[in-house]
Amino acid sequence: MKKADIPIVKRSLFSWVFAGNGKLQVILLLVIIIMVFARVVPLEMQKRIVNEAINLRAIDKLLLYCGIYLVAVFFFSALKYLTNLLQTLITQRATAEMRKALYHHILTLPLGFFRNTQPGSVVNSLVTELAMPGNFVGMAVSAPVTNILTLLAFAAYLFWLNPLLAAVSFSIYPIVVFLVPVLQKGVNRANRKRVDAARTLSSRIAESISGIHEVHGNGAYEIENKKYDRLVDRLEKIRIIWSLYRFAVKTSNGFFISLGPFIVFLLGGYLTIKGQLELGALVAFLSAQERLYDPWKELIEFYQVYQDGVVTYNRTMEFFDVMPEHALEPEGRGAFDLNPSVEVKDLSFVTDSGISLLDGINLSLNAGEHLALVGFSGSGKSTLALCIGQLYSYTGGHVLIGEKEVSKLTKKDMVNNMGFVAQSPFIFDGTIEENLLYACRASADGNGQSEAHLPTLDDIIAVLQQTGIFVDVLRFGMNTILTHDENQELVDVIIRVRENFQRDYGEELADYVEFFDENQYLYHSSVAENLIFGTPNKTEFENTNLCMNPYFLKFLKQADLTRPLLSLGADLARQTVDILGNLPPDAVFFEQSPILAEELNSFKAVVEKLRRRKLHELSAEHHKQVLDLALRFVPGVHKMVALPAFLENLILEGRALFREKISVDDPEAITSYKVSEYIYSQTILNNIFFGKTKTANPRAQEKINQSIIQLLIEEDLLETITEIGMYYQVGTKGDKLSGGQQQKLAIARVFLKNPNILIMDEATSALDNKSQARIQNLLETRWKKKNTVISVVHRLDTIKTYDQVAVMKAGKILEIGTYDELMARKGMLYELVGKK
Amino acid sequence: MSLSEKSEANPSSELEENLEILRQTYFFSGLPLETLKIFAYLCTREKFKKNEYIFKQHEDDGRAFYIIDGKASLEREDNGNARDIRDCKGGEFLGGLTLLGDLRRLFSLRATEDTTCLVIEREKFSKALQQFPDIMPRILKAVAKSIDSWEERFLAGRGDMCGECMVNLGVSLI
Repeated sequence: MKKADIPIVKRSLFSWVFAGNGKLQVILLLVIIIMVFARVVPLEMQKRIVNEAINLRAIDKLLLYCGIYLVAVFFFSALKYLTNLLQTLITQRATAEMRKALYHHILTLPLGFFRNTQPGSVVNSLVTELAMPGNFVGMAVSAPVTNILTLLAFAAYLFWLNPLLAAVSFSIYPIVVFLVPVLQKGVNRANRKRVDAARTLSSRIAESISGIHEVHGNGAYEIENKKYDRLVDRLEKIRIIWSLYRFAVKTSNGFFISLGPFIVFLLGGYLTIKGQLELGALVAFLSAQERLYDPWKELIEFYQVYQDGVVTYNRTMEFFDVMPEHALEPEGRGAFDLNPSVEVKDLSFVTDSGISLLDGINLSLNAGEHLALVGFSGSGKSTLALCIGQLYSYTGGHVLIGEKEVSKLTKKDMVNNMGFVAQSPFIFDGTIEENLLYACRASADGNGQSEAHLPTLDDIIAVLQQTGIFVDVLRFGMNTILTHDENQELVDVIIRVRENFQRDYGEELADYVEFFDENQYLYHSSVAENLIFGTPNKTEFENTNLCMNPYFLKFLKQADLTRPLLSLGADLARQTVDILGNLPPDAVFFEQSPILAEELNSFKAVVEKLRRRKLHELSAEHHKQVLDLALRFVPGVHKMVALPAFLENLILEGRALFREKISVDDPEAITSYKVSEYIYSQTILNNIFFGKTKTANPRAQEKINQSIIQLLIEEDLLETITEIGMYYQVGTKGDKLSGGQQQKLAIARVFLKNPNILIMDEATSALDNKSQARIQNLLETRWKKKNTVISVVHRLDTIKTYDQVAVMKAGKILEIGTYDELMARKGMLYELVGKK
Repeated sequence: MSLSEKSEANPSSELEENLEILRQTYFFSGLPLETLKIFAYLCTREKFKKNEYIFKQHEDDGRAFYIIDGKASLEREDNGNARDIRDCKGGEFLGGLTLLGDLRRLFSLRATEDTTCLVIEREKFSKALQQFPDIMPRILKAVAKSIDSWEERFLAGRGDMCGECMVNLGVSLI
């Protein structure tokens, strides 16, 4: 950014007018000058048509003047369009630049700022509020120049026509010039309030949405509604007052300007009657005067846009007028490569509101030493860790890393030397890989390095294994559904692997896997899958479309399946609605239901109909719905209904019949399950199995994982599948990952970065014992004596191996030393350990 | 449709069987049928092979088990010494307290033959409980009653054999 030296929040709105848009503004200016000229020409033509052509009955002159008139009007319109175009370009450019610059600024603000700022305020400012100032920038040159030039041109023309009339009709304008700013003050007052109210409202919305669990959990709809409604009502009032003032400006302006023609008629009519003014001149005068109205109106509108723009802009910038606490980049030197020793001297941290969170902290860590911070929540251990990591700015004392004062270091110095795992780490929407490489990419970008500096796949896999998320990533990979033309090589290998799997592991996993067998009913597949027993290649044969596929419906009839399936569907609908009818749409309740949460209401209607009518009396639409439900039925999952033995047999017979028919009628439509072919509708795992897993329970998963990992190692597929797994989309805030997976991912992220100093804030709290022990072990064997670790610890069984343990209470270190020393002293730690 | 009227052509569903089981379990038996149905729906069945652990000491698996058939051994390990406490067989319900709070297991349960269990998870249980807050008192009553009658039985049968452990009696007084 060119303007980086002046922070955006200090820039005036006017600075945007020419910055980056200079050339466009000059072009716009030129276009406007020509346009104004094109606007006056018709007036003169008008006069000449009346005075010269009509009066003298000269047809040729009439045609000539009309021709010029036409060209001028055409020219004017084209230029007008061009100015609008340029204006839009400038507006959008300026708005985009403002949005970017403000966002860039906001991201660098200290964490303290965001404690008091809701995300909603930021969103509102960036998305909504900057539009108005942007509008102003677009109009800033064109509107005043166009309209003032036009006004001057018309005014000059009017004076040239008749100085007396002109002087009289201009006498109104001073009144307007006096009155409008007075009213505008009211507009501005209301607008300032509006900006604030809109920001508060946005915060409110953001808060209640992010706390939606609490709202639902407590049924606090009324409380939230009241809070929200009150703010909306306030905004409503403010907006009404704002609009009333704005219209007052418009109306009073309109009123006074409309008085113009009245005066011209009165005086001009008198003069014409007396023969002192030609009729043509009067017509031209009236017409020119009427045209004064448009530019004047636009000028007043521009004045309003200007005022609104300035108010909104200043209000927004004032809100974010906080400076980053630390420079982002060092000046005149590269980023330090710090020796990871840490020295804390007499450190204190007092919040803005005067609460002391840390007081008189002293500690010293040699490079490569590990420190555990323990204590009750609220004792200040996280705050201390964050102060050492520069994320909080301490208010007194010193923190020295490699003998450099942390508060004097730039962000880049810190980032290059420090890694951080937060208590509830943030996982970004995107793939596992993107999240894993987040820290590495950021520092590579910051140091101007290329992608080649990023860790290799081998490095990544090693870290995945160290942190224990490897198996999860592998499972994501195994659960991927490949598309037709990708990974042809892999597909071939998997088909080959299938046989080996059956031979080596088939028996062992038979309890957990249902293999595809042409002669067996698949209890963990839907009725539709049981009938089709293959992958559809045409959309009309996809599961969801079968109930509308005439060919398939005809087949069901032939196979004597229509009635029994409808009856099954009806039963399913009745039972499911009976159980789930009054439950909220929580995933937990719908896991084992054939009806999706969003379909529940429509099935309620079907069940209601069924109460009063027979199956065959249902409407065609309801029929389709019931049949569709039956086709989805998976006996191994949907336990509310049992699959009668006769229906099972009918379906098995139907499977054979369907295969026979489709192979004649439309052999392309379905690829039947065959051991020799890849099934594109199923996951990689199911393809290796040539079957489906029966259960999602973790014990079975582990069993399956063990066998599959063994197999993949034997077949040399482990890396390939892990790589596929790394493209798994983790969802917004990583919501498709469990808490443990999120923490492991965050730890893996920092391990990949391998920073000199690692700060962990209860980083393993969501992990099981095994994973926690593995990570502890890793820190001890791989990190000790090389990288310094400061760890806020919640479980005391992990701290024995730390070089130092500091016990904190109420912002002070009560005791510090090795685990054994402190235990021998029988002080605070001894007590804490005893309590656990 | 009453449950006993099932014919072979219309076999009873797993849900109905689960419902029957829950109705006979002290923990659930006092609940109205409407809510019981939902718990029956949320249950799953799991098979454990001989010698497989159903749950392990020190772990918080957050699940309660009803042994449908098979046999399992309740064990406890102290300082490396494993002890068999007793055998559990079909019809026993274990782990009701785990549904109510985050508890680490004090015992392990190992299948001594192939065993099928009905399993309900704490997460599902508490989600359902949120929907029917008024059943909580009934469950608490059932649990209290069960703890009390357990100790009463113990005292009546073995109370005098306790010896040094005597001072630790009175779990029903918590």
